[in-house]
Amino acid sequence: MNPAAGPDLSMFNRFMVTFRKGDIIFCEYEPGDTFYLLQSGRVQIVQLMGELEKNIAILQPGQIFGEMAILEEAPRSATTIALDEVKALEFTRENFEPLMMGNPQIALKLLKLFVNRIYEQKRLFMTLTLEDVEARVADVFLMLTERQSLDTSSMDSVELKNTVEDVSRWAGIPSGQCREVLNHFVAQRRIELHPDKIVVKNINDFARFVASRRKHQEK
Amino acid sequence: MPKAVQYRANSIIYFKGDQSERIFLLNAGKISLSYVDTESGQEMRDLIKTGEFFGVKSALGHYAREETAMVLQDSTVMAFSVGEFEQLATKNTRIITKMLKVFSNQLRRIHKQVETLLVGDEQVNPETGLYKIGEYYMKNKRYGQALHAYKRYLVYYPSGAFAADVTAKIVSAEEFLSRYGSGEPPASAAPAAPPAAAAPSAPAAAAQQAKTDGSDLAQQYYNAVSLVSQEKYMEAFKAFKKIIDGQADGEYATKAEFEMAKCLFYLKQFDSCIKSFTVIVQKFPKHPEMKDALFFVARSYEEKGDKARAGGLFKKILTMGTEDDPVIRKVKKALRALEGGQA
Repeated sequence: MNPAAGPDLSMFNRFMVTFRKGDIIFCEYEPGDTFYLLQSGRVQIVQLMGELEKNIAILQPGQIFGEMAILEEAPRSATTIALDEVKALEFTRENFEPLMMGNPQIALKLLKLFVNRIYEQKRLFMTLTLEDVEARVADVFLMLTERQSLDTSSMDSVELKNTVEDVSRWAGIPSGQCREVLNHFVAQRRIELHPDKIVVKNINDFARFVASRRKHQEK
Repeated sequence: MPKAVQYRANSIIYFKGDQSERIFLLNAGKISLSYVDTESGQEMRDLIKTGEFFGVKSALGHYAREETAMVLQDSTVMAFSVGEFEQLATKNTRIITKMLKVFSNQLRRIHKQVETLLVGDEQVNPETGLYKIGEYYMKNKRYGQALHAYKRYLVYYPSGAFAADVTAKIVSAEEFLSRYGSGEPPASAAPAAPPAAAAPSAPAAAAQQAKTDGSDLAQQYYNAVSLVSQEKYMEAFKAFKKIIDGQADGEYATKAEFEMAKCLFYLKQFDSCIKSFTVIVQKFPKHPEMKDALFFVARSYEEKGDKARAGGLFKKILTMGTEDDPVIRKVKKALRALEGGQA
């Protein structure tokens, strides 16, 4: 919530906490009873999957994190790291209910956040059920395109502001293997690989490829 | 205004795949939601209770319906637009709190399913999980983050299965952190392997002391150490010299002298480096970082082309410690490189 545009949170200033760049805010598996409203700086959410650190999301000011622990007595499900110097409002289980009652807009925001997270995780699950690694990488392209809410019915080329690392994390494969797959696509002239972006030349072609692999797998 | 809508038995309110931004509340009757369970692939059917909302997630998230809503007996539902629903919910936050509980359970469930696909069906207990996070960051030389995870571990599991290991690793992580900062070690001084448990060293002890007295001198010293980690050796050298010139606290002057000698190596002033370390070693024959001092002297000789002297010193250092010491591993690597170069 941008403090300027969102509800007035100045009465919560006593809950302000600051983290230095690189600091872990909380660790996966740690018991947690706090959640945060990010005021400034970016926060990365990661999960350790075996030997892979998987990027779940990068949060911008105005977003909420740590919200899972607030509703249930359960360990944190991900690790959060400050990507910049981070300022956030820290709330506890005790002051959570009154906060929600007094700030229904925050409660609503939280509800939408849950909805989106559930959808994202379901989408990720769909990707991971693909056995073929090329299909998985292709499906990550589709997922990243969906997130940009582009209408791909009238266009083929899509620019994804993602790196090889991002793709490998979303596809759940080691980055070396992911690079091999991407290089193969480059050799076939189906994508262009840049340091900060991936240009997918024909996203609909990848959509057909993924659909056929899914169908094949169901048989 | 939300409208009341009547549906006859066997009619469909919406199909899976439909795009719609309407949210429904069941007033009376019997309605079921059928969907395919993501995990099992099985067709599932849930009954909606009277007073319960449905169609919320797809409407709020603007994505296609994930289930088909079928009317089993004549029913009355209230249909809300997203805006109308938001208005109602902000007036009655209990609706939201209740939904949050349901959604957070769903989210945890799908998280688990994703995790199972990625790492197999092994249940990680939180204690082992937290330990593994520390291990991961330690292995990847992200010492600040490793330190945080290890310290959290000790808070929750002070007498846990990994407590002794974690305590030792905190010491190593602090040492590496004070030497290299939170980022990657500079290539020239990188340890051959991830650091294992090491004995407490001068920088680690100093770091702790700096925390307790918080003096300006300590601050100056660590600022200078941080410059070393950024490979700004000339600036670091000047900063250390300032500490010595201040002649305030003997302890930090001694440390600064040591770090200055190291800077000389990185500044390729090999003769001065050898000279400085020789003075230090003579002054403090039991210097806690003797091995490191000799290492820099040996490397300086190597750079000067005196491989015989360098080799002799490397071998001497090897007699001073064991394999679990990062300096020893560093020396072994250097010696292999040296001998490989001669062959």
